[in-house]
Amino acid sequence: MLIQTQQLEKIVETSEGPLQILQPIDLAINAGETVAIVGASGSGKSTLLSLLAGLDIATHGDVLIENEKLSDLDEEQRAKLRADKVGFIFQSFLLVPSLSALENVMLPAELAGHKGAEKEARELLEKVGLSDRWHHYPNQLSGGEQQRVAIARAFVGQPKILFADEPTGNLDSKTGDKVEQLLFDLNKDYGTTLVMVTHDTTLAKRCQRILNMEAGQLAEASQDVA
Amino acid sequence: MWHKISFRLLKQELKRGELTIMALAIILSVTAVLSLSLFSERLQSGLLERSSEFLAADRVLSSRRDIPQEWLDKADKEGIQSAWRVIFNSMAFANDKLELVDIKAVSDGYPLRGELKVADKPFVEGQVTNTLPPAGEAWVASSLFQALSLEMGDSIEVGNSRFKVTKVVTYEPDVGFSVFTDSPNVIIRYSQLAETGLIQPGSRVRYNVLFAGTPTQLDNYENWLLPQLNDDTHSWRSIEDGDSPLARALNRAERFMMLASLLGVVLAATAVAVAAQRYCQRNYDVVAIFKTLGAGKQQIRKIFVLHLLLLTGISVGIGILLGWLIQSYVINWVAEQLGASLPSASWRPYALAIATGLISAVMFTLYPLFRLISIPPLRVLHRQMVGVQAVRWLQWILSGGTIYGLLVLYSQQWWLSTALFVGGAFAAGILLLIGRLLIGAGRKAGMQAGSAWRLAMAGLQRRASANSVQMLSFSTAIMLLLLVIVMRNDLLADWQRQLPADAPNYFALNIAEEKVDDLRAMFAREDIEATDQYPLIPGRVTHHNGTELIDEVTKENREEVEQGDREEGFGRELSLTWRDTVPPNNEIVSGEWWGDNAEPQVSVEKQAAERLEIKVGDTLTFNIGGEVFTVPVTSLREADWGSLQPNFYMIFNTSTLADFPATYITSFHLDSERKDELYQLFRPFPEASLIDLDAIIDQIREVISQVSIAILFVLVLVMIAGALVLIAQVQASMEERQKELVILRTLGASGKLLSRSISYEFLMLGAISGLIATIAMDLSLLILQTQVFNMDATWHWRLWLVGPISGAVVVALLGRLACSRLIRRNTAQLIRKLI
Repeated sequence: MLIQTQQLEKIVETSEGPLQILQPIDLAINAGETVAIVGASGSGKSTLLSLLAGLDIATHGDVLIENEKLSDLDEEQRAKLRADKVGFIFQSFLLVPSLSALENVMLPAELAGHKGAEKEARELLEKVGLSDRWHHYPNQLSGGEQQRVAIARAFVGQPKILFADEPTGNLDSKTGDKVEQLLFDLNKDYGTTLVMVTHDTTLAKRCQRILNMEAGQLAEASQDVA
Repeated sequence: MWHKISFRLLKQELKRGELTIMALAIILSVTAVLSLSLFSERLQSGLLERSSEFLAADRVLSSRRDIPQEWLDKADKEGIQSAWRVIFNSMAFANDKLELVDIKAVSDGYPLRGELKVADKPFVEGQVTNTLPPAGEAWVASSLFQALSLEMGDSIEVGNSRFKVTKVVTYEPDVGFSVFTDSPNVIIRYSQLAETGLIQPGSRVRYNVLFAGTPTQLDNYENWLLPQLNDDTHSWRSIEDGDSPLARALNRAERFMMLASLLGVVLAATAVAVAAQRYCQRNYDVVAIFKTLGAGKQQIRKIFVLHLLLLTGISVGIGILLGWLIQSYVINWVAEQLGASLPSASWRPYALAIATGLISAVMFTLYPLFRLISIPPLRVLHRQMVGVQAVRWLQWILSGGTIYGLLVLYSQQWWLSTALFVGGAFAAGILLLIGRLLIGAGRKAGMQAGSAWRLAMAGLQRRASANSVQMLSFSTAIMLLLLVIVMRNDLLADWQRQLPADAPNYFALNIAEEKVDDLRAMFAREDIEATDQYPLIPGRVTHHNGTELIDEVTKENREEVEQGDREEGFGRELSLTWRDTVPPNNEIVSGEWWGDNAEPQVSVEKQAAERLEIKVGDTLTFNIGGEVFTVPVTSLREADWGSLQPNFYMIFNTSTLADFPATYITSFHLDSERKDELYQLFRPFPEASLIDLDAIIDQIREVISQVSIAILFVLVLVMIAGALVLIAQVQASMEERQKELVILRTLGASGKLLSRSISYEFLMLGAISGLIATIAMDLSLLILQTQVFNMDATWHWRLWLVGPISGAVVVALLGRLACSRLIRRNTAQLIRKLI
């Protein structure tokens, strides 16, 4: 089991009292699986993603990655875990604006202290079809190109898990399709476990499993339901 | 690895111009501090060197007794130049006439600073000379030619010696300002002093040794010498001591430069503070991305601390280079203007500038950096998350402490720094409060107005908290600018008033009573502007409230003085006068002027009264030519000793002194082109002595013009610093505005409406800041003028209009300029820039 949750709950304090964002969730994801979490806006998908990735802390319950409890780790250790095992793709790309495409891709490997970051980054940029744009800055790239850089960045260091938050949400459908294809191709090549939040059903259907989130409750959905 | 990321971020951000404001702020603070302190140090030493001419030396040791030769030998060992100058009164005989003269016996090297000018006939322009009269010769003042009916080559008899008169002394640098009470000067060689036989035990002689050297040499020597001096016998002087107009001008200039530079430093530091805040805010997203990608806090801290240090290092380096270039250009320009070279400066300004850059960059970034490092990785999903907010007081303490530290570091004066800081902090608090109130009021008014105004007011209100901080820095910048401008004008005007173009440049004394009317008529006929003619009666003060005054405290009479049986007096004969009215430039500070009251009484000058502890109601006993009388003191006067008009310690009412025989004194202005006429004009007054002040006045003017240039330079730097604060502040609010613009644009607001509302918002912000700044400025000025510069307080009503208007215009222009790019962008571009 690569990712596991036990009675995972998230409650936030608001001015009108506590608000339960996630009902207790038990979930297990195997290595190499591709999982889509679908649901309406505000259903709690992104919150679940942030808890699974160790970006946020659960109110109750636990997340285990390779049997390591995230709640036992402090912020530094969680960061280390992300550096070693996790890659990210975001809806708004989240590239560092002052770094070039190549430097953005190199970043996770460098932060993890890997040698040969540049070589690996160049190879990945070539795979996403941007070998000629490596010295461009994010604001010199189109949305699709930026997301391709983000995908390259996500695979650098060969993470075991890839978390994607609406990866095509900011792109037009044609560009979105291309990016989508690229993501799944690379995922297959690298044998990565993909956990993706989306409300795009077509995209979700490309995953092996679809989980439906509704008002903080998670349920397994069949491909047809999605 | 982390340092690579740090280098890369810095390189790319510098290339892309994202660090420009922060770098500029640091560069400016370093440049400003360096050029200001380099410039003021060099100018200061240049001025001191120029002014030292008035002492004819850098330092003067005066003594009533002979000065041990070993003290001069020690100076010689230290590499300090020294020269003797012995001054005493004696009678000079020639052509069967007798005149009391001041003999000045000087040794080789005199004057050590400044130049001696001599001529071949009296009352003409002299030429600089580097020599002294040879043995057996004397050089004498023009007025002695008149008094003794001398011709060039005649001999005068002084004591046992005869001296051939071979030159007229037209200018002595060290002639001083009490000239009108002195006798004509005769310069002889120090080596011939003994032969005259005039120096006997008990003679009233002033022994002076002049010293000239570098500040370090002089400081070392001073440390060695001062413990050996006896307060009763010796005095040790530099040009900065004393109450001459020059000393006062210098002191004021020094204070102004110091204060203006301090304000410049505060402004530059404010710019750094504002930029630092923005520098960190800009990196919130970057840190969140880094953390998401697995960077630990430690790593992030290292990356950004190195990034900041590198940025600071580069900026400080550029600042130092720029500051050095600027001041060397300015110095060259100033030197060209004045036809003089200025000495080089020490290492201190460089150390000071580097420290200022480092301290302000590091200290002001500390709190924002702390927040930056605490940015949670979750910000990648929730963009509004900003991390720790709790320790805001830490920021206030750090910023306040830093500014105070910089003030102390720069001025090295605890009192001045504390006063400025406490005053400033108090003013800042009030400014914040007023700003918020005014913004609130503006919002209400705005609701009644058109849509652009309404948008502007809503914007102001929405950003009230940010705006009141922004307004604080606008106000501070405008206030400090106004303050420096007004102070400069007042200072220059004050000097100008002291030395108007028609300031008296001659004193005529020794005029016989029956010739006064003729003299007055001559002045009128020749269109010469003269001050009143004052009668002059030599007399001594012998008793104060019945206690005998002695000339000099000696070992023999010290006991009596300590027991109060006797008091120390003036030690010399005074020039007494009488008048019906208070002399111009004099002010009664205690008691009352007599008016028509014919009862015998006297008015005493304030400083003299303080020295002898004389109060209104005390009695003074005078001895004039053997006639002794006692009068009450009915008023104390403050005299303007810099006014180049006759001034007196003791003035009597007419009935008290009118019967004593008197000679008269006056001062007048004669254009330098008419100098040649002087001899002719004063032919009918052969007994009159003339003293030429032109050279001294010219020197003072020159010093003042140097100072004025310096002040102008300071003003320009302070203005640049002020502008940078404004720009940094406008830049800081850009991101917020950008978001709003996107929304308003998307909702269909026209470019015109947006640009107007932005202009109005900045216009209001600027006007309110300008108004607050003016109020604060006038209040601070009141304190500065009365407490620091010893000037009269003045209100600056015109500025109450100029402040708000110029504030509004400048801030609106800057704001509009900064936003113009945003308005020109189309909505799609704006949205893309935001995400």
